[in-house]
Amino acid sequence: MSIETVLQSIFTATFLASVIRVSTPIILPAMGGLISELAGVINIALEGIMLASAFFGVIVSALAPGWIPGLPIWAYAGMGAVAGILAGLILAWLIAFFHLELGADIILAALGINILAAGGTVFMMFAITGDKGSTSTLASPALPNVQVPFVNDVPVLGILLNAENFSGYNVMTYAAFILTIVVWIFLYRTPLGTHLRAVGENPDAAASVGINVKRVQYMALLMSGFLAALGGLNLSMGYLTIFQNNMTAGRGFIALAVIYLGNRHPFGTLLAALLFGAATSLGAQLGTLNIPSQLIEMLPPLVTIIALVVYNLRRRARATVNERKFQERAAG
Amino acid sequence: MMRTSFWSELVRIGAVVSVALGIGFLITCFVSEEPVAAFRELLTGPFPKISFADGFQVKGMNRFGDWIAESITLVLLGLAIAIVFRARQFSLGADGQLLLGALAAGIVSLFVDASIWIHIPLALVAAMIAGFLWGLIPGLLKAYIGVDEIVSTLMLNVIALQLYQLLLTQWLRDPTAGFVGTENFPVTAVLPVIVPKTRITIALFLALLAVVAIWFLLTRTPLGYEIRIVGANLRFAEYGGINTKWVIAVSMALSGALAGLTGAYLAMGLLKKLTLNLSPGIGFEGIVVALLARNRPFGVLIAGLFYGYLRTGAQIMERSSDVTREVVMVIQAVIILLITAERLFPLFQEWRKRRSDALIVTDLAGGEGA
Repeated sequence: MSIETVLQSIFTATFLASVIRVSTPIILPAMGGLISELAGVINIALEGIMLASAFFGVIVSALAPGWIPGLPIWAYAGMGAVAGILAGLILAWLIAFFHLELGADIILAALGINILAAGGTVFMMFAITGDKGSTSTLASPALPNVQVPFVNDVPVLGILLNAENFSGYNVMTYAAFILTIVVWIFLYRTPLGTHLRAVGENPDAAASVGINVKRVQYMALLMSGFLAALGGLNLSMGYLTIFQNNMTAGRGFIALAVIYLGNRHPFGTLLAALLFGAATSLGAQLGTLNIPSQLIEMLPPLVTIIALVVYNLRRRARATVNERKFQERAAG
Repeated sequence: MMRTSFWSELVRIGAVVSVALGIGFLITCFVSEEPVAAFRELLTGPFPKISFADGFQVKGMNRFGDWIAESITLVLLGLAIAIVFRARQFSLGADGQLLLGALAAGIVSLFVDASIWIHIPLALVAAMIAGFLWGLIPGLLKAYIGVDEIVSTLMLNVIALQLYQLLLTQWLRDPTAGFVGTENFPVTAVLPVIVPKTRITIALFLALLAVVAIWFLLTRTPLGYEIRIVGANLRFAEYGGINTKWVIAVSMALSGALAGLTGAYLAMGLLKKLTLNLSPGIGFEGIVVALLARNRPFGVLIAGLFYGYLRTGAQIMERSSDVTREVVMVIQAVIILLITAERLFPLFQEWRKRRSDALIVTDLAGGEGA
């Protein structure tokens, strides 16, 4: 097979749509992680929060018809989404409470939350369905697909905005891209966002000008919980309509890396998440061509580590230059 | 002074464990028809049953063996985490180091032909070297360039997993097997069982040796002293002339070597081959052990036995009741949260003091009134 046919079979509309779909559950938690990271309270429980939200979304939306019969199906899906978001907020609040009130190390507290979510979801799933693998015995609804109107006749835009068959993506996919812009506006164009970044930069200085550091960090962690929850809901009520044991499969950790690969900026983070999504899609495509997918899937983490090295080297170089300038000025 | 802090520590850990077990029982009550029976299995299951019905008999030795086999894994992993935590580094790379350790041990087991006296040590050393190198990478990156070790180790875990699965599926797998896995290791590369009818292997001595070695390293050698100083106060260590960068890198590499050894144990002691999913998520299990042990080597031994007991008990409970073993993960999470909540215990003591003060005041007030 020539390299040309390989390339042709890869870079199709299907591939593009697949990248966007696969990236969604990375973009959303990454935006949440970015907010908490910039507030100086890195949330490494994105993984666990996604898992818990994915679980509660499915369970509540599947069981709700038994509690309140007769509603339209979107209402049950909505209840599931609300339950998933609540689960995310509660777990994020737990981290905030243990870290900010009880002095727990934030990394360890978040690790505890990850373990709680991994164990707790399987524990409850078995209690409810009698199955440890998945909720396949439950019928759970999906969050709706949304179609962007008027663009299907435009050549590239139609595929880009409404996927390969023009039927639209899951609502969470659009949410991911829109929220990226919202997060950027929040962080860089609102007073609260400025306060948040100030807290992350130097909490003492922020406190000295009257910013309530603790409140800002609570808020940042809750936002990260909310965004990670959306990512989890995308997995179990969009991408699939089922909850599976450990269905996040490390996406929460990848979201964490994506923040650094994206230079701790919303748009950089978005691009980095798309890169990971592209690698996963490419891996799946190459798998059909007998090229081991593992080779491709190794690349994004490798790129992340290299990016971290470059980022830190540049920061160091800048610090040295600044120091020299300062000394020259002091001498002169 | 030392003694009182030791005892208050012990009381604190005991309290945390009790609360966590209590919460575990509470959630069991919600889901189980017979929560008491289920929890009794969890708490007594791994212990061998001695009966005198017809002569002296010990039953359930295999369960006891499972407990010890599980604890060996946890002690080795707990030591790996304890070392980096002592240096105050948050390496989360045990998962990847463990996989590559198993991979190295597997390659030596399958492709080297030697007598058991050479084969086993060679495979173990290969695993430790693989883990050491995989731990050295994030160590060097952190120490000399400042790359955050949490992100780098998590990414190295992903790479290690892909590398492991790549080599396994492309090269090492036994094409005749119905699943992705190697053929069984030759007898010369399988850790010999030391207690018949159990899974207790010579790895038991290995784990004990590791505990003593790490204790010796941390308390009786210059490097151990430096690791402890770096962890206690990085600035002070720098002013004291310690090569802190090197110490940080080495602590992470040593941790990797122990994680690699754990991987070798899983492959050569328990599975006797390499499988696609060696033991998913086990890498994070060392954290609770190290935390319970307050990063002390002999503490790790006890915490590892305790947590191994719980994990084995949970498996027994799962087989004989309607509760899944994942209840132990919930217990573990509660332990981690409570043990890291440093202000929790002082707050509790303050609350008790205030309450007893209040009682005294009301007593006095009552006395005056009479």
